[in-house]
Amino acid sequence: MVPVVYHPGYLKYSFGPQHPFSPLRLEMLLDLLKSLGHLPAFHAPPQASREDVLSVHSERFVRRVEAASQGEESPELVHYGLGTGDTPVFPGMDEAARWLVGGALEAARLVLGGAGEVLHLGGGLHHAQRDQASGFCVYNDLAVAIRHLTKAGMRVAYIDIDVHHGDGVQWIHYDEAEVLTLSFHESGRYLFPGTGAIHEIGRGAGVGRKLNVPLEPFSEDESYLEVFEQVSEAALRWFRPDALVIQCGADAHFQDPLAELLLTTRSYGKIFPLLRQYAHEFAAGKAIFTLGGGYSFDAAVRVWALLYHVLQDLPLPERLPQDWQERWASHLREPLSPTLHDPERCYPEIPRKPQIEQHNRQIARRLLETVHPYWK
Amino acid sequence: MLVKDVMNSPVLSVPEGLSLQEAHDLMYANKVRHLPVVREGRVVGVITDRDVRLACSPLAKGTVASPSTPVSKVMSHPVITADPLDPVEEAARTMRTRKIGCLPVLENNQLVGIVTGIDLLDALLKLTGVEKPSGRLELRLPDEPGQLALLTGYLADQGVNVHSLLTYPEDALTVRSVLRVNTQNTRALAEELRRQGLEVLWPPEKPWM
Ligand SMILES: [Zn+2]
Repeated sequence: MVPVVYHPGYLKYSFGPQHPFSPLRLEMLLDLLKSLGHLPAFHAPPQASREDVLSVHSERFVRRVEAASQGEESPELVHYGLGTGDTPVFPGMDEAARWLVGGALEAARLVLGGAGEVLHLGGGLHHAQRDQASGFCVYNDLAVAIRHLTKAGMRVAYIDIDVHHGDGVQWIHYDEAEVLTLSFHESGRYLFPGTGAIHEIGRGAGVGRKLNVPLEPFSEDESYLEVFEQVSEAALRWFRPDALVIQCGADAHFQDPLAELLLTTRSYGKIFPLLRQYAHEFAAGKAIFTLGGGYSFDAAVRVWALLYHVLQDLPLPERLPQDWQERWASHLREPLSPTLHDPERCYPEIPRKPQIEQHNRQIARRLLETVHPYWK
Repeated sequence: MLVKDVMNSPVLSVPEGLSLQEAHDLMYANKVRHLPVVREGRVVGVITDRDVRLACSPLAKGTVASPSTPVSKVMSHPVITADPLDPVEEAARTMRTRKIGCLPVLENNQLVGIVTGIDLLDALLKLTGVEKPSGRLELRLPDEPGQLALLTGYLADQGVNVHSLLTYPEDALTVRSVLRVNTQNTRALAEELRRQGLEVLWPPEKPWM
């Protein structure tokens, strides 16, 4: 069984009831796994220390997070991405964020200790930068885990399927040779954070090792999978990492309220097994899977339940438990899908489909042409 | 944005007696393509790597200059210059209409900097590009007083910080405004702006939601 790292402290990472990055998603997921009879014995991580956080963040930034977390007010917080609409300050923010970092770090320790795949049931805060919080992300749990692995001598490939560019992880490791980053996202021309263009390929020793696949808005399953397989396989076959770190944000789903890609659960049903296959083929079976963005409660919970089932080799349920559905539909006051998978034809036909596919194909080709000279 | 915000300063300049060979070597060593030529503190010309190459090329018409020729024989003059307080668009227009690649920048007749085409590209990137993690809003507004105020006033009320704002005329009646704002939740903003009667082009509505 794939170890699942989780701590109730994860639920404290909450920006308030109106904020999209809600711990309710995680509660719903745990409740669903329980209803399905699959709630595992969790691997409880210790909370990350200040030193752990400082492995990727600057001291002055961490000091600001700690002060804000204690209720200190200061006009300069905004310069550190704190106290904004996206990343408001809440009491205990530093501690809550360190629980998530602790989880990712524990997953890294498990991998170093000989585990194959590990699921970190939370985190994936890929926007947090060295000196700045950004886009719902305070501390970058992914980068802390990656740094822990590279310090132990591993070469790590980071794969990010969140609909937003994995900018924080990319910039933190931008000039490192031992870290490959690969982000699939809706083009920054249209979507937050605005970066993730194909010409961002790394710097110094890291050049050719930071890859971005910016996809057209309204890209669909087939087109996504086509470029996903093409670029992932080429990059991993060349880089041959010792481990994968995978951010499994669910916000590329067509129901997501923050973005414009149109993946259905069928894509995820193919992507997750592919990622496992890549881990075995190219990274000696070692991979850390984390959660990430995903702001449709209905979609994100189903996508992550799918991830859980794929990782644990469980048969997929067709329908979701009635009691679970009723409980959460009434709690959220919104209807929930009765089945794990989306129905066929769940959104209208996209008239630009052929152009979108063509565009994405060309982006993948241009990306590979750009980095190829550095792949020696 | 002013010329002083984008110019290169301090600037490398050369005396008019310098040889083409020395000017060539200086440009290559410093990775620049333009050198103001100075006499007694005054700019009297500009010499470019292209001037040097053409003067010495056997393919060029006329006589081939020897590498020891002084730059004063080849330089462009009189010089078209800019003031540090000129807006960048004025510098761009001058360079575009006069078909030149740089403008020495003078303050009280003293050379204080130089603006090249590359600096104008940097200015364009700064004006339109992504300098901070941000989301994008695009609107079509009636070309009337108060429209932009309505938009930015609303964003201010929501505590949204505008990193950049670009507005350009679309036709006689409307303008397009492209904003970069410090939130990933632009769809919620767009929805609210639509409710206020504004025409939001990006992010678009998703009819199935
Ligand atoms: Zn996201």
